[in-house]
Amino acid sequence: MEAEFPALVSARLGDRVAAVEVFPGTLGRVRFRAEAALDVFRSMRDDFAFDHLSMVGGIDWVDHREVFYVLWSDARRAYVILSTDLPAENPHIESATPTWPGANWHERETWEMVDIHFDHHPDLRHLLMPDGYVFHPLLRSFKLHEPEELEVKTRNV
Amino acid sequence: MSEMWINMGPQHPMTHGLWNLRVHVDGEMVLDVDPEMGYLHRGIEKISEDRHYNEVVTLMDRCCYVAGLAWEHLYILSAEQALGIRPPERAEWIRVMSEEFQRLGSHLMWYAAFVQDIGLMAPFLYGMRDRDLVLDLFQSYTGARMTYEYMRVGGVRNDLPNGFTDQSRKVCDWLIDRFEEYDRLCLASAIFHKRCDGLGKMSRADCVAYGVTGPMLRSAGSKRDLRKDRPYSAYDRVEFDVATADGADVTARYLVRMEEMRQSVRIIRQALDWLDKNPGPVMAARVPRWLGAPYAPIGNEGYLLKRNYPKGLGLSAIEEPHGEAQAYIVNDGGEHPYRVKFRSPVFANISAAKKYLVGYRIADIPPIMGSVDVCVGECDR
Amino acid sequence: MNASSVTTASGTAKAPGTELPVVTQPGVPFIEIETLRAKEFLPAAKEALSAMIAERGREDLTQPVFNWAGRNSLFPLHWGLACCAIEFAAAFGARWDAERFGIVPRSSPRQCDLMIVNGTVTWKVAHKLIALYEQMPEPKWVIAMGNCATGGGPFRTAYSVVPGVDKLVPVDLYIAGCPPRPEAMLDGILKLEELIRERKE
Repeated sequence: MEAEFPALVSARLGDRVAAVEVFPGTLGRVRFRAEAALDVFRSMRDDFAFDHLSMVGGIDWVDHREVFYVLWSDARRAYVILSTDLPAENPHIESATPTWPGANWHERETWEMVDIHFDHHPDLRHLLMPDGYVFHPLLRSFKLHEPEELEVKTRNV
Repeated sequence: MSEMWINMGPQHPMTHGLWNLRVHVDGEMVLDVDPEMGYLHRGIEKISEDRHYNEVVTLMDRCCYVAGLAWEHLYILSAEQALGIRPPERAEWIRVMSEEFQRLGSHLMWYAAFVQDIGLMAPFLYGMRDRDLVLDLFQSYTGARMTYEYMRVGGVRNDLPNGFTDQSRKVCDWLIDRFEEYDRLCLASAIFHKRCDGLGKMSRADCVAYGVTGPMLRSAGSKRDLRKDRPYSAYDRVEFDVATADGADVTARYLVRMEEMRQSVRIIRQALDWLDKNPGPVMAARVPRWLGAPYAPIGNEGYLLKRNYPKGLGLSAIEEPHGEAQAYIVNDGGEHPYRVKFRSPVFANISAAKKYLVGYRIADIPPIMGSVDVCVGECDR
Repeated sequence: MNASSVTTASGTAKAPGTELPVVTQPGVPFIEIETLRAKEFLPAAKEALSAMIAERGREDLTQPVFNWAGRNSLFPLHWGLACCAIEFAAAFGARWDAERFGIVPRSSPRQCDLMIVNGTVTWKVAHKLIALYEQMPEPKWVIAMGNCATGGGPFRTAYSVVPGVDKLVPVDLYIAGCPPRPEAMLDGILKLEELIRERKE
């Protein structure tokens, strides 16, 4: 099953998938086009029986952003990784919450941390940080405090 | 008819940690819930980008403080895949044994907290007493009760001390008998059944759709267990059964966790036998020295930057005591991981709270949330 | 004459079960003593106490009593922030049994006089922590348990963590450790009792 999976994906999804890379321990890393996200999600759930969404995460590659999904199939007993690139300015992608309801909080967290906007998400608001927090901490431009800087601050308090 | 939103938390005996369950109630009935997380968000993923690979292990203990060794195992598996390092076999068995002991410790902690939630006070003392025996074993080979910093990329920090396996077998024998006692304390109690039977129902289809894993999913009849379905470390070489139940309610989750503890003891005994027969190294031979040293020795700063490892990605998934945990690590060739992303099972289990809380009464919330086994540390990270 | 001999004597004399053995000590006039005490000792003690209060002030005399009562029944707030909360709970388990020191965790801040900050304090929980602290009745104490509450610990540089709970509320005692063992926590509480013994308002 593992060997023929890339061919099956290419046959089913055509040019909506750019490539299926080898990823040890999974069926592969499917690089899809962001515009066709909804088709890919539905096809993965209905045609390939990936009914469990494990996690959604975002990576800030400074010049662009990447969003990835890890799916699990009980029938295939295997993981697959979906991944796509988004532009650094106004990155947005279709939400996976209508397909897998469990994606709700993962997408909220990804939006909060990496500033990737999920279209048609039912409830895109802050999850881990307080309401009104304007930063996106997991962007590379967001720096941690320096310990020395903290020293000075606390001495003045 | 008076509907209103009430807050249960952040400081509430039900929460077992620091989170806020906003409940929309009509009298006693729960109409809607909205968990509010993040009170313990410490930015572990961000701090990890500023640490060397082995330094992140320190954060993993604090990430899930009732299952520190399981999270170390999770992170190390992913980091080893990203860096392309393989540990020796003995280290794998020690990790398996550690993870199962950690499962015992976590479930005993859950037992102590959960049974107190439903009003039986004495089992708290039983659970904490037996958990301390497991922590004593951890202390004997890692040096700490809760925050171990034991696993390393390419193996584990040190071998087991002399006499460890004998002492572990004694603890296993003791615990196996205690599980019967626990069942007598709980399942024989009418209070337990009145407060737990038929509560917090969540069907298998809902569990799969909402990403709920672990004992909650297995209590709904599923046999998904990553130790069986996708064996890691030495789990393909041990024999055990996956604990399942059909009730999908609080009692079923209790039964699943109890059976899991018995299976853990079974795995530990096999691991101890293997470890007795096969001495050997516990650290891979060709691990770059800078992975073990957080800072370069004075006058030798140059070697810190030298590295020949290719870029890579790592994805690991383990069956943590609470469910399916994952770590995704991006190694861009630098000395720090470029991005570390964790999947916490508790995070997904709480996000489905609407499914198993709506329709019950306010007084049912503590037993239901107790059966979910909330660990806020790993949920908020 | 001790109690057991009385019991056996009466037990052999009568058939068992017909009469309960009663321990009597006819030589000691309890009632007379009590009457004497009420008549003579209490007014005398009251007089002496009034004289002492007039001489030294009420506060000086009552404060040690309150300190004694307070330090022997410290009620910490029952909440768990992070890892240290697990050790906090372990201290109330069978092995350490913190309740023998009169430490009983209470869930309502209104019933507490001790706040043990057992874990990492984030900015999101900071105002909730202050609200809880302000709800506690005076006199109240705060223990910063563990490195996170003391100075941020391993998360000191993070964006969401308060680097030390003493930025929010006054802290009386710091316990080092990550997390401190239960005996360290108990030692800290006993040290706090020493502080309370010395306390002057």
